[in-house]
Parts: sequence; C-alpha cells; structure tokens
Amino acid sequence: MPDKKIKNRSKIKEKVSAELFEQVPYNVAVIDRDFNIVEANDNFAHNFGDWVGEKCYKVYKRRKEPCYECPSAKTFEDGMSRVTDAIGIDKLGRRIHYIGHSIPVRENGKKGEIQYVMELTRAVTETAQYQQEYQILFDRVPCFITVIDQDYRIIRANEAFRERFGQVIGQFCYEVYKRRKSRCPNCPAAKTFKDWKIHRSHQEGIGKRGQEIQYVVSTSPLRRHGSQVDHVIEICTDVTKLKNLEKKIIDAERLAAVGQTVAGLAHSIKNILMGLEGGKYMISLGLQKENTDLVRRGQDMLERNFDKTTTLVKDFLSFSKGRLPKLQMTNPNKLAMEIVDLYKDIAAKSGITLRAETAKNIKKVPLDPDAIHTCLTNLVSNAIDACQMGEQKGSEVVIKTSDEKGVLSIEVSDNGAGMDYEIKKKIFTTFFTTKGGEGTGLGLLTTRKLVQEHGGKIFVETEKGKGSCFRMEFPKNRLQAIYKEEKKNGE
Amino acid sequence: MSDKKKILIVDDEPDVVEWLTVFFEENGYQTIGAYDGKEGFEKAQEQKPDLISLDISMEGESGVKMYKRLLESDDLKDIPVILVTGATPQLQNFFERLKDLKSPEGFFEKPVDKDELLKKVQELIP
Repeated sequence: MPDKKIKNRSKIKEKVSAELFEQVPYNVAVIDRDFNIVEANDNFAHNFGDWVGEKCYKVYKRRKEPCYECPSAKTFEDGMSRVTDAIGIDKLGRRIHYIGHSIPVRENGKKGEIQYVMELTRAVTETAQYQQEYQILFDRVPCFITVIDQDYRIIRANEAFRERFGQVIGQFCYEVYKRRKSRCPNCPAAKTFKDWKIHRSHQEGIGKRGQEIQYVVSTSPLRRHGSQVDHVIEICTDVTKLKNLEKKIIDAERLAAVGQTVAGLAHSIKNILMGLEGGKYMISLGLQKENTDLVRRGQDMLERNFDKTTTLVKDFLSFSKGRLPKLQMTNPNKLAMEIVDLYKDIAAKSGITLRAETAKNIKKVPLDPDAIHTCLTNLVSNAIDACQMGEQKGSEVVIKTSDEKGVLSIEVSDNGAGMDYEIKKKIFTTFFTTKGGEGTGLGLLTTRKLVQEHGGKIFVETEKGKGSCFRMEFPKNRLQAIYKEEKKNGE
Repeated sequence: MSDKKKILIVDDEPDVVEWLTVFFEENGYQTIGAYDGKEGFEKAQEQKPDLISLDISMEGESGVKMYKRLLESDDLKDIPVILVTGATPQLQNFFERLKDLKSPEGFFEKPVDKDELLKKVQELIP
C-alpha cells in the first residue's frame, strides 16, 4: 500500500483530533495525576466555568479534596477506560447528573506511561429525571400495571400490583390474576396482540389473600421491533370498592321500598280500623235503640271492612313474597309478546288495541321473568282501565322495549285518561287507588318494588286527558351484579 | 230542627263518612257528607256548616288544598276545622305546607277515639 496515503492519514487524524476536541458534544477535560486540569474544551468551560489552575474535583463538584472512588484515579492506576455516572454542580450552581468517561492518555503511544486522563462528560440530567419520574409513575400510580410477553408471562409488574397479587415475575397472567390454568375467554390482551389496538374490559380477579378484586383493564400494544407486538401492557383500575358501594345502593333502595310499603300499609289498616269501629258503634247503637236498619248498616260496614282486611292480607302476602328476584337469562321481547297475547282479546272487547314495539338489538338479560310478568300485567291492566276511563276513540296500549347506553327499558304507554298532578303525586306513595272498592292500591307499589329489586327504577309521564307512560329502566350492569351475587349465594 | 249545628264531614272513605254521620247525628248535630276536597269546598260554600271534619289524603282534591281554599274565603275562613286523618307523615307535611297560616282547631288520628272527638266538637260548637 502506498506510504503516501498513510502519511496523509496521520495528518488527517491530527487535524481531526484538534477539531474533535472542540466539536465533540461532550465536556472534555484533561487532568494530570494530581487532579489538575491541564486542558479543557469550550463545552467544558461553558458548563463548568473557569478551570485554569483548578483541581478537577473543585470544578466538577466544588469539593476541597479528591472524590471518593475517583474513576480517573483508578484509570491512572490500571490504565483501563471507565464509564461512570456522577452528580456535579455546574457554573451556575445547578445540580447536574452526568455520565463520565475516563480515558488514559499515554506518553508514547499505546505502551507508554499514563501521563494524563481525559475526562469526557455529558449531562443526562433530563433523561435521569424522566427515568425517575417514569419509575415513580409506574410504581405508585393507583393502578395495577403488568407487562406480558407473547406467552402471557408477566415480565414486569409495578409496586401496586405486587402488593395486591404478590411476586409474580415469570408467571402466567391468567394464573396470577384469576388463578386459572389456561387463558381467559375474551382475553383483551389476546385481542391487542392480534390487532395492535387498545382494548378495555371489566374483569374479576383473586388477590394473594384470596380476596375478590373487581377491575377494569386496558391493554396496550408495545412494539419493540416494529413488525409485531412483542409485549402488552395491562393497566388495571381496582373498582372493587365502587362495585361494593353500588351493591350497597341497590340494597338501600330495596330497603326504602320496604319502608314506603310499610307506611302505606299502616295507612290502609287505619282506615279499615275506622270502618270496624264505625260498624261496631252502629250495631251497638242500633241494638240500644232497637233500630234494625242501623244494626244492618253496621253489620254491612263490618263485613265490608273484614273483606278489605282479607284482600289486603292476601295482596300483602303476595307483595312480600320472595325478597330477592330469581334472575335467569330472559328475553324481554318475548315477555312483552306474551303479555300482548294474554291481554289483547280483553283489550279488544273494550275497543282498545294492545301491541308491542320491540327493539331488534335486545339480547337476553338476567331478569326474574315472573316478576317482570307481574309488573307488565299491572301496568297493562292499569293502561286498559285508563283507556276505558278516557274519552278518546281508537285507544291503544303499547309495550315498548329498548336497549340504549347500557340500560334496558320496558315501557307501557296508553292514550287514555291520563292523570293530573294530584293523582300522579300519590300513585307510588300510599295504598292509593282510583278504582273504588275494586283495587287495593298495591299494583303500582308491587311493580315499583319488583323493579327496585332488579336495581331498576320506574318513571311515569302523564298528562290529564292525553294518556300516561310508565317506563321501567334497568341498568344492565346492575342486573349482572345481582345475577352474579345470586349465583354465588346459590352455590 | 234549624237550631241544630251543622257539621260537614269530608273523607274519601264512604264508611268513615257514614259512621261519623250516624255518630254526630246521634249526638244532636246535623251533617253533610262529601268525598273529596272539591266537593267538600262546594258544599261548604253552599251550606255554611258550623264545623268541618276533614281528611287530608284523599283521591281527587286533597284536604290540604281544601283547607287553604277555606282560609282564602272570607265567608268560610272562620269555620272551625278538625282534621281526621290516617297518616302521621301527611299530617306533618300538612303543617309544613301551611306553616304561615292559621292551624286547624283540632286533629285526630285514625282510628279516632269517638268520645274525645265529640268532646272537641262540643267545645268548639256548644
């Protein structure tokens, strides 16, 4: 090979070295064995300030003596290059985190004695801060975070997760979350591995002490090499407390329904007692005056109120029967159709059309079919009565089902008599009836109770002379919660 | 006949009206019956009773509304009213809604003690 070229190379190298010394994106300082800085580049001066005649430890860290475990001192000793990280103070007094390289500089090429050590430093303060922030975030965020590989093994888990589920690295996620032997059906992570998208779902897990944990999980893809999803990050929010609260609310609503019922019952009994008292008084007055008409009226009054008692007790027993609904997967549309079949002939006799408008998107939900059947029977027979009381021609009663925003609703509407404010106010509050001796006023109370036992609510919209609409709304997550609870209690 | 004092009995329970009618008449009063607040007010206007026995919770117009209308009427506002009612919560509600107005002269919870009721009536309209 031509010498000329080699000569050129060393010349080039020399030139480049000088250039490099200034342009390299590092702070460069050269120190001797006594830690004196003998040369430094502009970057160094820019970051650490004036260095001429100073010791390196003073400039880097404002110390009065050499640093403990000084890497450059070791390089002087053994001739090895070193990389360390350290914390220093810049010329403005700010704390900086930097990575430092200590490189030996020998007197005569590779074999000579080490004359200097070149220190290359670069600030990584921001990166270090980010890393620290990230670590804190990862561990302390009030969520469980795990990273799983394609075999569904957990390769990382944050502190919150470890606290709740124990030491889990290397175990299968389904084993840890749910103590299963195989992957869960509807696994959101599997979907993410497949379509690279974020998925969310509500799950139930088992903690390290065997406690039930309800959580909402979101799975995000982590691609390290571009062509496929290598890992999935599972971030879970613990909603156990929330779910427990929700359950308590359902229970409280159920209790409230019982309270209202008892208050209504007391009112009803007081009226009956009044009737009995009256009958007794009239009989005794009639006997005293030998007035048979008065005795007969008293007798009738007693009989009427005994009958009322019997009906009330019977209704009340059926009302109090079965404290929890017996939920089973039920198609609400089918229930609606059943009611239409049962009542359309009766309705037709009074010139009323009874029909169902069922939404197509409705799937089976956990409901107590007998209870909903009772509710619909009550509402439909009220609606038919309302149509008979109303004066419109072409009366109709419509049962409508819908499933929107997680709420199943079943409504019964009519274009009958409607109610004014005074009546609307009372329909759910007492044993109220507009049907004279025919009703006990328990129909709507029973309906409301049954709906509330399903975690639902009943609403009424009405206008005097125009008609009424009773709508039962069932949040489906509540139905599921009651269903699960019942299944658990049943086992 | 005409010197007998007249009592208007307002209650949506026909048995209550019937019993109180017999009871008051037996004790020397004349009676009129009505089955809701609206009918009660009309009969009060028509016949100017000396006392009104009034139920609160009634189908149709309630006792609260009728009582208010009585107080608003110059002709009727001085007629003593005795509440005869079934439910204590409704009674509280009654007073809350009428807190700025004159209280009724008496109130009895169902089932009423008939001797006490008569005593009160005799006190108000001897």
